[in-house]
Amino acid sequence: MSRSPRWSPLLALCATAVLVFTACGTAASPSPGASAAGSQAASQPPTSVAPYDGLVYPEDGSSACGTEGYSGQVGSIKAIDAKTVEFSLCAPDAAFLSKIAFTSLAIQDSDFLAETGGGGEALFRNPNGTGPYKMKAWTTGTEISLETFADYWGDKPLTPNAVVRWSPEAAQRLVELTSGNVDGIDNPGPDDFKTIEANPDFKLYPRTAMNIFYVGFNNVFKPFDNEKVRQAIAMGIDRKRIVDNFYPPGSEVASYFTPCDIAGGCGGDEWYPFDAAAAKALLTEAGFPDGFTTKLHLRDVVRGYLPSPVTVAQDIQAQLKTNLNITAEIDVQDATTYLATASRGELQGIHLLGWGADYPDVTNFLDVHFGVGASEQFGKKFDDITQPLVEGAKTADPAARAELYKAANNAIKQHVPMIPIAHGGSATVFKADVAGGHSSPLGNEALFAMKAGDRDTIIWLQNGEPGGLYCADETDGEALRVCEQFSESLYRYKVGGTDPEPSLATGCTPNDDSSLWTCALREGVTFHNGATFDANDVVTTYAVQWDAKHPLHKGREGLFDYWTYLFAGFLNPPPPAP
Amino acid sequence: MTATAPPIPEVVAGQLAGEGRTSLWRDTLGNILRQRNAVVGLTILTFFVLVAVFANQIAPHDPVAVLLGQEEGAKKLAPPCIHALGCPAAQPEHYFGIDQNVRDVFSRVVHGTRVSLQIGFLTVGFAIVIGTLIGALSGYAGGKADNILMRLMDVILAFPALLLAIAIVTVLGTTLLNAQLAIGIVAIPIYARIMRASVLSIKERDYITASQALGESGGGILFRRILPNALTPLIVQGTLGIAGAVIDVAALSFLGLGAQPPTAEWGSMIGQARNSMFAAPHLVIFPGVALALTVLAFNLLGDGLRDALDPRLNR
Amino acid sequence: MTRFLIRRLLLSIPVLIGIVFVVFALARIIPGDPCVAALGERANPKTCAVYAAAHGLDKAIIPGFFRVEGKIELRAAEIPATLTDNQFVQYVGSVVKGDFGVSSKFGLPVTDLLLQRLPATVELALYALLFAIVVGIPLGIISAYRRNSIVDVGTMMFANLGVSTPVFVLGLVLAYLFAVTFKDTPLALPPSGRLAAGVAVIPLAKVWGLEGLGGPLRLIIDFLSNIYTFNAIVTFNLSLLADTVKHMILPALALGTIPLAIIARMTRSSLLDELGLDYIRTARAKGLRDRTVVMRHGFRNALLPVVTVIGLALGGLFGGAVLTETVFNLAGVGRAVTEAIASRDYAVIQGFTLVIAIGFVIVNLIVDISYAYLDPRVRLA
Repeated sequence: MSRSPRWSPLLALCATAVLVFTACGTAASPSPGASAAGSQAASQPPTSVAPYDGLVYPEDGSSACGTEGYSGQVGSIKAIDAKTVEFSLCAPDAAFLSKIAFTSLAIQDSDFLAETGGGGEALFRNPNGTGPYKMKAWTTGTEISLETFADYWGDKPLTPNAVVRWSPEAAQRLVELTSGNVDGIDNPGPDDFKTIEANPDFKLYPRTAMNIFYVGFNNVFKPFDNEKVRQAIAMGIDRKRIVDNFYPPGSEVASYFTPCDIAGGCGGDEWYPFDAAAAKALLTEAGFPDGFTTKLHLRDVVRGYLPSPVTVAQDIQAQLKTNLNITAEIDVQDATTYLATASRGELQGIHLLGWGADYPDVTNFLDVHFGVGASEQFGKKFDDITQPLVEGAKTADPAARAELYKAANNAIKQHVPMIPIAHGGSATVFKADVAGGHSSPLGNEALFAMKAGDRDTIIWLQNGEPGGLYCADETDGEALRVCEQFSESLYRYKVGGTDPEPSLATGCTPNDDSSLWTCALREGVTFHNGATFDANDVVTTYAVQWDAKHPLHKGREGLFDYWTYLFAGFLNPPPPAP
Repeated sequence: MTATAPPIPEVVAGQLAGEGRTSLWRDTLGNILRQRNAVVGLTILTFFVLVAVFANQIAPHDPVAVLLGQEEGAKKLAPPCIHALGCPAAQPEHYFGIDQNVRDVFSRVVHGTRVSLQIGFLTVGFAIVIGTLIGALSGYAGGKADNILMRLMDVILAFPALLLAIAIVTVLGTTLLNAQLAIGIVAIPIYARIMRASVLSIKERDYITASQALGESGGGILFRRILPNALTPLIVQGTLGIAGAVIDVAALSFLGLGAQPPTAEWGSMIGQARNSMFAAPHLVIFPGVALALTVLAFNLLGDGLRDALDPRLNR
Repeated sequence: MTRFLIRRLLLSIPVLIGIVFVVFALARIIPGDPCVAALGERANPKTCAVYAAAHGLDKAIIPGFFRVEGKIELRAAEIPATLTDNQFVQYVGSVVKGDFGVSSKFGLPVTDLLLQRLPATVELALYALLFAIVVGIPLGIISAYRRNSIVDVGTMMFANLGVSTPVFVLGLVLAYLFAVTFKDTPLALPPSGRLAAGVAVIPLAKVWGLEGLGGPLRLIIDFLSNIYTFNAIVTFNLSLLADTVKHMILPALALGTIPLAIIARMTRSSLLDELGLDYIRTARAKGLRDRTVVMRHGFRNALLPVVTVIGLALGGLFGGAVLTETVFNLAGVGRAVTEAIASRDYAVIQGFTLVIAIGFVIVNLIVDISYAYLDPRVRLA
């Protein structure tokens, strides 16, 4: 929290104080340094110990839970002492550790935040952090370069320097890799997987698919108001053909909206098998023996769930024609208006969309799309889908929850608000001599854990340039991945996995119903700007994002979107839009 | 271009314009056919026009038909296979290979001819009609109207054409028609300027004054006296303009702002194949060559026409 | 001459005003919402309200007209209140001050972005033009000199093909050839980017110890500094120079081919025109060597139209740069504008197109003036 050069005497004092309080306050979570600290503290006269001025939020010490206009899940955050922070939540949250491991909650130096005013170029283009790499230079439009942070508390990066570049075209990324200019690339084109795997110079690391690509209908519009029409289309599209031809290896034909990797996601009956004859018969029964004419809406945006949008759309178009005699005119819509048009329920034809997991839970898939609060995208809601979802969100018992989601999945199959097509796989590719190359299901590959042969720089080529690098206020995976290299949260996801493990915290322990979490913080951590990491940094980092009226709640866009995704709502939320 | 013809004095040119229709056209045709460029251009163009007209007969497949499950052995991104050139008979024959949606590239390129020729003529036709009207109005009215219209044209010309077209298409919405409209709008100033210059150069001529004195209406003078005079540069510029329009609309489609899938349009075929370029270069090369040849034909023809019709323009 | 100059300058004023207006109008009538563009799936009315307020997008566009959820809406009652407090007034005010606002996508002043992107395009255009001139003019001369020979026919065929090949086709083919086919040979060339990863560019302001400097001089230094070739030459940084040149070859070939063809054809035809004139015949009759005649007498006079064509080609280069930058992944102005249009980054659309258009007007002005200077008849017209 303070800069070492100017404040060294005070720092020593603080440190001592820290140790004392850690020793006294960590009955619940003993830290490795505690016993040593205790003996040191004993040699100091007690009078010279300044009490740690730990921050509390909200500042009056009350809990935000249940206050007017507040819909969030965090009640209060308290720095008990310099190395202990306590989070009190409004409801039990078993996923708390997964949440605090998220990149957007990377801890910032509180003084640095104050100096930058919580926003501006100094913060989001020259970010601070505690990570193994630190920022060296950012050449807009070209590259971001990182170098080893000499005072890093943990293992030094395996390659001294890292460079992040970007190129939106899969073909271009592959050429850069094959011509030897970069060490690793993200998202090779689906057609190139085989060539890469056959090439001994490269190694492909498939990424598990935590997403869904679907064909949706709005049941307000004719002829999609007729359930039989929707069921006929569900039977009349050969999903396997789409996945086999247009998705990279590692992708799966989707039978449920929620991927099976998510607990309780894929219970219930399998999706309709492909049967063109039955589909045609059902369409005839529905009153359309000669098919009909409609539109096929999509946006030309590449996502993990849809690696080649236009190609897939053309195949679906062809299948609709051949199998059902439905003439669908392709309507590639503007990417910036498509989602809004969809959620306002204005897409009258068949629409293509998808969803990627924010956090691995069924609610992040089903409730968002089919729950009571979902948008107008699919038109009128179905009680037998919304009911089990409402119950499921309240239920803690996994078995009971699974039963409810099974019911919801079966109702979805019955009503066909959409046809689940694919869980799209993707991959990273590294040169064969890069030790520790991997892909992460969350898209946050750790460059510092890779050794690029005997080179002193590892060069990584991703899809796009980050907007900014103050990741509390970024949503783009391209930015979050870069942040992951130089900043750290209290927990982190295992390299190449999703399980949370301690990082800046040495451990966080819940109370009996996991609504109160006490985190012991790591000793000897310094920020890139030289400041020492302590509990007040944690409180400030969280408070700035949490409280919409906090003077430092500025960021790049001022949205702090991931906070609302993780913890449901802001303190002092802005008034609803006029 | 070849610069063989010596500059014709203005008097002679004036006589040419005043001569009878039939002999003028016969002379012109003769002139055109003496131009090597024009002949080559005309030949290529005739070839493409024939391809476009008989596209249904030439193309072995429907250009949008997906062959998956329809044809045994059709594989995505398969390279060209011509049995006569030693491709195993077991493999289905596809002269230009198969694209990312398992369609016959040859059929798509053939049908693309139709689309591109239509694009060229319609876009330039639109630009000429509007441009001529603006130019005529501007030149004929003079004064404030002239000033405002020409400054407006200057503003349009002050932007790189493609950039302005991109912005216009984004405003109008991305369809092939809007892409043509955008390219057309951007091309208007050239024709407006040509027309205005022609109007100005002959507005004060004796025979125009005479027509006026004889009571011919303004519109009549414009269409019967002035337009025929402006025809030569308009035709020359129009032919070259078609070449530019074909390229520019293809460029918009390449960027995803023009023809919508699955339309067999060369620019959009190349744009969609961009990411498969290294796995399947045939997806870029065949439509690319077709596009270049079509543009070449119009360019050669335009050059030839310029040389044949008006040697003074040969700069 | 002075009168012509003044007239020409006065004429550009209404054009410049028109440009300022058109740029604003174009940026604002594009449907869609910058917030949705920035946030994608995660945009919702609540967060977008915050976004709009932060970027001044909740203000009226012009008096009474607001953008609501991506659509423009008229609120007649608010016309008086928004007479001066609207985006257009703000925009014009800042343009007059030479400030283009802040990019909503990057959170950076548009001026800073321009200083990054414009030099890339200028550098690309210069390389392309250099290639076009250095190859085009000699080709034209040889062609004229050996008229109707194989060389002539071949050159002109090449020129015609060159003019007819779209930049994006040529670019993709070049990238495939030099990056894939010639991989592992000395001919291999990088198909994307301006520099290899990790090649450092030290800003000239830093090299010269002028980091504290501000004002227009600093802008110029930063601009020049980002023309990597210039930077490398001034600082004798050979590795930077080599890398820059290597990365510029393919894009310059792709972009320069069309102007090359135009220049070659123009050189040839205007040289042929000159060679047909009396004074050349006289020179030849005097027994001067053919080569001397062509080079000394013909070429000098034939240069005028060539210069004009080069000036006009500059305009085409900017249009082609959009495609070249897309194909070769170069961070130049062309791509910046297309990306800004896609992400509804109004400040960038406005600032960049304004600068490009003004640049255009200036180039045209220079071409016109030099033409008038060289050819007195133009002045009188």
